[in-house]
Amino acid sequence: MKISRRWLTELVETPLSGGELAKLLTMAGLEVEAVTPVGNFSGVVAAEVRGRRPHPQANKLTLVDVFDGQKVTQVVCGAPNVPEPGAIVLWAPPGAKLPDGRALEPKEIRGIVSPGMLCAEDELGLGTSHEGILVLSEKDGLAPGDNAAEKLGLPDEILEVNVTPNRPDCLGHLGVAREIAALTGAELRLPPVPPMHLEGSASATVRLEDPEGCPRYSALVLDNLTVGPSPLAVRLRLQALGVRAISNVVDATNLVLLERGQPLHAFDLDKLAGHTIVIRRARAGEKIATLDGQERTLTDEDVAICDEAHPVAVAGVMGGSSSEVSASTRRVLLESAYFSPARVRRTARRLGLHTEASHRFERGVDPEGVLDAARACADWMQRLSGARLAGAPIDLYPKRIEPVRLALRASRTRALLGLELPAARQAEILSALGLEVDPAGETIHVLVPTRRPDLTREVDLIEEIARVHGFDSVPATVPPLRRAPGVSPPPASLKADRARDALRGLGFDELSTYAFVPPAHLAALGYPESDRRARPIRLQNPIREEQSAMRTSLAVGLLSALASNLLRGEGELRLFEVGEIFLRRDGAPADTPAEERRQLAGVMSGHREGWLKPGEPLDLFDAKGVVVELLSALGHVADFEPSREPWLHPGVQARVSILGREVGRLGEVHPDLRAKLGIEARAFAFELDLDALGAAPPLRLAELPRFPAVTRDLSFFIAAEVSAGAIRAAIDRARDPLCVEVKVLEDYREPGRVPAGKKGMLWSFTYRAPDRTLTDAEVQSAHERLLAALKSALELELR
Amino acid sequence: MASSPDDLKARLHGLLSEFQAKIERAHTEQELRKVFADYGGSQGAIRVAQKDALKEAPNAEKKAIGQLSNAVVAEVERALEGRLAALHEAERRRDLERTVDVSLPGRVRRLGHLHPTTLVRREIEQIFAQLGFTVAEGPQIETDFHNFEALAMPKDHPARDMQDTFYIEGEPELVLRTHTSPVQIRTMLSGPPPIRIIAPGPVYRKDDDPTHSPMFNQVEGLCVDEGITFADLKGVLLHFAKRFFGEEWGVRLRPSFFPFTEPSAEIDFTCAFCAGSGCRTCKGSGWIEIGGAGMVDPEVFAHVGYDPERYTGFAFGWGLDRMAMLRYHIDDIKLFFDGDVRFARQFK
Ligand SMILES: [Zn+2]
Repeated sequence: MKISRRWLTELVETPLSGGELAKLLTMAGLEVEAVTPVGNFSGVVAAEVRGRRPHPQANKLTLVDVFDGQKVTQVVCGAPNVPEPGAIVLWAPPGAKLPDGRALEPKEIRGIVSPGMLCAEDELGLGTSHEGILVLSEKDGLAPGDNAAEKLGLPDEILEVNVTPNRPDCLGHLGVAREIAALTGAELRLPPVPPMHLEGSASATVRLEDPEGCPRYSALVLDNLTVGPSPLAVRLRLQALGVRAISNVVDATNLVLLERGQPLHAFDLDKLAGHTIVIRRARAGEKIATLDGQERTLTDEDVAICDEAHPVAVAGVMGGSSSEVSASTRRVLLESAYFSPARVRRTARRLGLHTEASHRFERGVDPEGVLDAARACADWMQRLSGARLAGAPIDLYPKRIEPVRLALRASRTRALLGLELPAARQAEILSALGLEVDPAGETIHVLVPTRRPDLTREVDLIEEIARVHGFDSVPATVPPLRRAPGVSPPPASLKADRARDALRGLGFDELSTYAFVPPAHLAALGYPESDRRARPIRLQNPIREEQSAMRTSLAVGLLSALASNLLRGEGELRLFEVGEIFLRRDGAPADTPAEERRQLAGVMSGHREGWLKPGEPLDLFDAKGVVVELLSALGHVADFEPSREPWLHPGVQARVSILGREVGRLGEVHPDLRAKLGIEARAFAFELDLDALGAAPPLRLAELPRFPAVTRDLSFFIAAEVSAGAIRAAIDRARDPLCVEVKVLEDYREPGRVPAGKKGMLWSFTYRAPDRTLTDAEVQSAHERLLAALKSALELELR
Repeated sequence: MASSPDDLKARLHGLLSEFQAKIERAHTEQELRKVFADYGGSQGAIRVAQKDALKEAPNAEKKAIGQLSNAVVAEVERALEGRLAALHEAERRRDLERTVDVSLPGRVRRLGHLHPTTLVRREIEQIFAQLGFTVAEGPQIETDFHNFEALAMPKDHPARDMQDTFYIEGEPELVLRTHTSPVQIRTMLSGPPPIRIIAPGPVYRKDDDPTHSPMFNQVEGLCVDEGITFADLKGVLLHFAKRFFGEEWGVRLRPSFFPFTEPSAEIDFTCAFCAGSGCRTCKGSGWIEIGGAGMVDPEVFAHVGYDPERYTGFAFGWGLDRMAMLRYHIDDIKLFFDGDVRFARQFK
């Protein structure tokens, strides 16, 4: 909401500058976002054009004789629109100061000295137009010699106030002035509403058929209008406040809107069928052409303002073009009403219209101020267009909206704020805000005027007291901890932070990507339709299609990031993200609408670390090593088995499980998916479900070995398809408790080194007893038993 | 063959000279030990000569022969020790002559980097933990009830305009949460006061312009108990500002409006760019708006079944990414979600 400082000072006496007012209002909850000067000039006078002729040296320049009430002076003017003699222009003579800081001096232009200049709008800081000089008419009320700034109400400052939705009363100058009065103790000068006498004889009928949608409807019938432009001072004020000047009739409604926050609408009475207004629910499908040139279809939820035949306005939102005031309008019906905020809001939202009127009706105008606003507007119309009151005022208000009565306990204010504030001071503040206050000791009885729909409870009054007294005067204390808080942090969040630290140590960079991803990327993962990951939850109103599916895979976003980093020439990438995936519940009832699982994903591409140049290219075992190390940091030991994840290379991937429970997957990214995402380099990925990990076994110290260990190696050939895991399982079944560690040292398959269909392996076994030094004989016997068992379990060929 | 002790003496001295000459030519410990074994070992030339002499010598001379041989062996051993020490010393000197170009890069296992939002989130969680606040979480796909209704924003409330909302397709009652405040509701519904939580996490608004990101992170705080005051809110925020930014930092609360708090306040912190002296970022005011706060509205308590006469509480919230922007002087929030490693790798 734009607020004119000059206008404010007409309503409340204040010596404060725009900047000071901004600070005052901001600290009281009306945040002022900017203060902009308007028309900051001096010494400019109105002058009458007496004669004009071309400049002898330049055909684009004109020599203009202007009369300032005392003498005629010749000025050089470059504008294309120098008017006929008799018109009034604005002349900045030598000594005048312009908003850009320039002080005018006589200046020679192509051989002729010009004493100052004739001004365009932008040169006076009144707008952006530089199409020509300002040309005034007689109606603008400036006579030759008049000080232009004084007559036009300038200079001014415009305060850009951010009015929160709870304060509809501050959507007009009067409300803001009332705040200033309360905050500074200055007196409010309520603008008078001069009585109007019935002069004309036109009449109209108004029927209120939807009192729920329109609790109060007032109308004045005015005749004898002459529609034309408003005087310059009015046009400039509207323009400075961001409202387009249209005609003296419409401008009058806007002046009242800006002053009192009450939207008004003027209908051309002679275009209303039957000179009648009916306020009713629209019929479903009923159509109206609104002032913005659109045809709108209404529903029976909308409040329609109709004549005998058709809707002529969408109540509280926008008027219709059929009854629009035009140059030929002579009589108007002026509407001032209180419409149901919820109904207006629903209609405005459905139509996608947000107007000055709907903005205010949605928040709630003052139902008690409706008729006064109409009178104030009629007064403006009388002054601007010669209107007369032609019929008795109509005011339909079947059920009065009563002011709210509240009781405030002064002790409650103190308890909630933690601030010692006597009851008397509390009452004083409420009274300064214009509330009717009846203090009775510690209890203050309050009658809240209807212009403050935000004050309905005791706590609302406490807020008023706090903000006017000043938040700055509230002390800063720390609340005592009565007992240990009962909420413990979610385990997944603790795990996630430990995982982050581990991955950071393993050289991974943490990224954060959007939770909504391109549906095509999820489809590219190749999950079957039966898999929930193939049916992502979608947004109803995404910003763009590529951000319309809630991710069902965390790897997808990371792979896109991998692709774009590779494209930028980054070759060595180890990336991870911790975040949620979103799965449909498919009807299963639960505490949260979707199944949100906290996961961790990593991708890597490039080489192992080398010195001065990169080491060997990464392979699956680099990714597996990361997963093993990461899980070990979280206290888990995992198993890895072949798997069939569609987006991973079919031969180079594994399911990760803990005690038989699947917790994730890892593998080489499938070449087809890489192609779709534009990843040229080989890449490896893993996903772990942090929610599925479960609790790690408690960490307990194992006794440190006190006796030496003995190592035995075993080298053999075995069928190539027997996995290391299967061999390890056979070893684990057969080994003596003295065998405390088993490791694979070699796996080689080069033809020539191994028989056809076989692979060579070297394993190492460590023997140790906790209570003694083992003898060679003991080790030998344990190792031979192991060997015998292995031979019977597997077909090995010892080397 | 001469067999007098004098002969033996001459012979042993001859061997000793040979030994000394040979060890001078030996340059490794292994060669040295070999030479020693040839002369001074139990099968070496000295003991062989001793045995030969003993075979022929009369008994009276045997003792002298033994003493003579032992003396020569001892001499040989001393020579060996001396030579070994010299060799070791030479080796040590050679080793100490090695040099490297220390200006070449080190061989490292590169550390990764944590996201700036993670860094400030952890810091914030730790600061509030000092005051007894524990971490709470909630879902990102929320019901209209938790995100709006229970926070005193019914369907037709104009305050809904303040938060452009993403809706879930086919589910008119589901939204992407527009703030972390629904976690307040879930926490209060789960049990009675006292409550002290801090709830960080992603939130979503349908804003897409250069200064907004449709997904960003917030952190929410909630404290409910008997006797909690607006002054407590101020004290807790002041504690936070001083721990997070520095002892000289301040907090300003400015009246505002949120449907779920009453009174409501905007939280301003001393501007991190100019330390309060006024600059372009803070429009000369010395303050930067960080987030919102207030005393929990009785209507919210009604939705979760708390008695507003018995309990009071405060809530606050702000953008986590925005905190990171202030801390690290980042001017574009989109960098947080771009996945560019040139950004990520700056957060050491
Ligand atoms: Zn600053």
